[in-house]
Amino acid sequence: MEGLSYAWQALTTTPAVFAAMGGVVWGILGGALPGISPSIAMALLLPFTYTMDPIPAIVMLASTYVGAEYGGSIPAILIRTPGTNAAAATAIDGYEMQKQGRGGEALGISLVSGVIGGLIGLFFLVALTKPLAQVALLFTPPAYFALGILGLSVIASLSSGSLIKGLMAGIIGLMIAAIGTDPISGVSRFTYGSPELMNGVPFILVMVGVFAVSELLVQAGKPEWNKAGEGEVQTRIKLPSLAMLKRLRKPQMIGSAIGLFEGCMPGAGGSIAAFMSYNEARRWSKHPEEFGKGSPEAVAAPECANNTVAGTALVPMLSFGIPGSNSTAILLGGLLIHGLQPGPLLFEKHPDFVYGLFGGLLVANASLFFIGMLVLTPAIWLVNRPKPYLMAAIYALIFSGIYSIDHSLFDLYLVLLAGAVGYVMRLCGFPFLPLVLGLVLGYMIEANYRRSLLLTGGDHMVFLQDPVALGLLITALVFVVGSAWRDIRSARRKATGGDGEGGEVRP
Amino acid sequence: MKSGLRNLAASVAVTALLAGAGQAAAQSYPIDTVTLVTHSKAGGGTDVFLREMTKYLGKHMGANFVVENVQGGSGAKAMAKLATSPADGSIFYGTTPTYINTSLLSAPDYTYKDLSPVTNVFLDPQIVYVRASSPFKTLAEVVEKAKAEPNSVKFGVTTPGSLDRQVMEKFKAITGVEAPVITHDGGGELLISVLNGTVDLGIGEIQELSAQLEAKEVRLIATYTEERLEQFSNVPTAQEQGIDLVVNKFRGIAGPKDLPNEIYAKWEEGIQSVLKDPEFQDWYRAQSLVPEFMPHAEYTKFIDEFAEEQQVFFKQYGITD
Repeated sequence: MEGLSYAWQALTTTPAVFAAMGGVVWGILGGALPGISPSIAMALLLPFTYTMDPIPAIVMLASTYVGAEYGGSIPAILIRTPGTNAAAATAIDGYEMQKQGRGGEALGISLVSGVIGGLIGLFFLVALTKPLAQVALLFTPPAYFALGILGLSVIASLSSGSLIKGLMAGIIGLMIAAIGTDPISGVSRFTYGSPELMNGVPFILVMVGVFAVSELLVQAGKPEWNKAGEGEVQTRIKLPSLAMLKRLRKPQMIGSAIGLFEGCMPGAGGSIAAFMSYNEARRWSKHPEEFGKGSPEAVAAPECANNTVAGTALVPMLSFGIPGSNSTAILLGGLLIHGLQPGPLLFEKHPDFVYGLFGGLLVANASLFFIGMLVLTPAIWLVNRPKPYLMAAIYALIFSGIYSIDHSLFDLYLVLLAGAVGYVMRLCGFPFLPLVLGLVLGYMIEANYRRSLLLTGGDHMVFLQDPVALGLLITALVFVVGSAWRDIRSARRKATGGDGEGGEVRP
Repeated sequence: MKSGLRNLAASVAVTALLAGAGQAAAQSYPIDTVTLVTHSKAGGGTDVFLREMTKYLGKHMGANFVVENVQGGSGAKAMAKLATSPADGSIFYGTTPTYINTSLLSAPDYTYKDLSPVTNVFLDPQIVYVRASSPFKTLAEVVEKAKAEPNSVKFGVTTPGSLDRQVMEKFKAITGVEAPVITHDGGGELLISVLNGTVDLGIGEIQELSAQLEAKEVRLIATYTEERLEQFSNVPTAQEQGIDLVVNKFRGIAGPKDLPNEIYAKWEEGIQSVLKDPEFQDWYRAQSLVPEFMPHAEYTKFIDEFAEEQQVFFKQYGITD
């Protein structure tokens, strides 16, 4: 109750409300531009917060994070270009919906899910920071390894119909993840003497390449590609109906639950949460066959997850002073600037600040809804311009965005290469998701596998002795066996004349 | 890289005070506006240090100082910029061990050898810490236990290419103990590993630990410095505990090759008086930075020796061939 009064005080006596809204607007814009990640959007804003009071300053930065995690989904849905890493999962079905003329609906779903996810994340942040902080401590290297394996087990269920192709794509992803500096010894691997590759291949380059560039290539390769899209196109945002909201409740719960835990663990972060919840939503869905073909659930789950992470990622940051990602590192910097040392004593020494921040975040998540509605209409109008202009503009947007990250031409070549690879993959009917999963999880799996063995002197039993690791590995096993069983059954049915599920990905 | 998030954050803090470049005062520096280049991004460790220092440099050296962030290639781009700039005292570079490591690891077009060290300013003290419930009170006890039961004590360090890893490998070589050195993605992950008992001890910098130290969640057991730290005078150095290991994580200034002697002299004089400025002292004491002024000749020798040591280490551990 005391907390409530602190929050109220902060909202009424400081400009925190305006800071929250300003942060959200800036975050949405930054998140929507490929290349401007949530952390870069925050870093650009940071110098302007120096002279502000601590509460509005931090509220503004945290609100930018909230806005950016949502903003990434706008280009993901409209032009298949994930604005942030975490939005890549949204691009899969969101863009399918857009192609079917249901872009307005997809945007509505992602906005509502983002707001719900943000509010749930905030609720857990406020109510359960102390116990949740212990989650971070539960995860030892064997547990992180097992978590990665659980993530990879998704490939089995995502590639039904083309398991071999799914596995191949997954392995390509793992191979790309192996490029760069060895996580344990520091030796350079597969860099062929190129200093640009020493830090590995950034996820965002691969994602923009395989999703956006390949789509542009596919479209340009279609006969009469420059004619407007067929059928009716939604030109306004369409909020989900009550029936739809009911259907989305399950994927949203899944997204929030995953986002809750991933946010508390340093290093896991929004993209892994988004991909895992995409998969879990599919696993538990009544209509798994729609996934990959424009399922509203497939938009809701990852969007809910990454906005939950924007809340719960503050748990380790506030309670240990440990940032789990670049974004929370910048937020931490903002705190230190104002003389606030996050850590075990922050809640006791500065409750006014902590609850003020929570109040500001509440405003941010609520205003996300209204600001999102305002931003989306012009965004939809923009993508309904004549195709030749639109595509040229998308190329310019992607390349300028990627170039702005590191001022590196090499990065542009990588994006083009990834685009070419993505194009070939689509022609041959390879699914993208396993590739992205392998890429995102490869580092975590390898590094923690090797760390675990270093700790035990090479004893593999450690993966069975750590209770968290054991639980996650058993879950992974159950899932793999389960989806293999389903595949065999449906294959048999097919052989006996049934219709079967059919391929996951359309070239 | 995923490393140094915590570092970045800790240092972002300090930019708060940056009030822009200092005003030109009575003293005479031959150039009006001096650019200090850093490879660190705005808010990163070196960036913050340089921006903070520019406030006092302006006052004591009589020129305007601006900081420019030239990111990319872990310092490769910044070194190239410096090496191709005029040697007239108008442009300098904020040095850290990164620029040596990048020179050795990535073989860029321009390396640390194309730059001329001007003066050193600070050393970042490296410390060894354990969780509060740990049985270890001193580094000597760690050595004892690790000798009695090989591989029973686990050492945690940040990234594989980091100075901390090097220090712990050296520690093993000096003391002859056998212990796994577990690398992490950064200081934050390492801190978690120490807190949850995955590793028995970690190595880091005070700034990263201040919250945990204050909450008594972690405890310092040694510093790798020449002398005890002012704020932690009860923590003995490694040398006092019979382990001859001192780490010199430096922060200094370098310029293009063949600067006029007058420029070196101005900097030597300027840095010495900046280090005595009481306001600046307040800042760097709060950061637990140890002032370590080295004039041009000494710093050049120091950098060469440092680079040699790094090279030996990278070869020994197969990081370069």
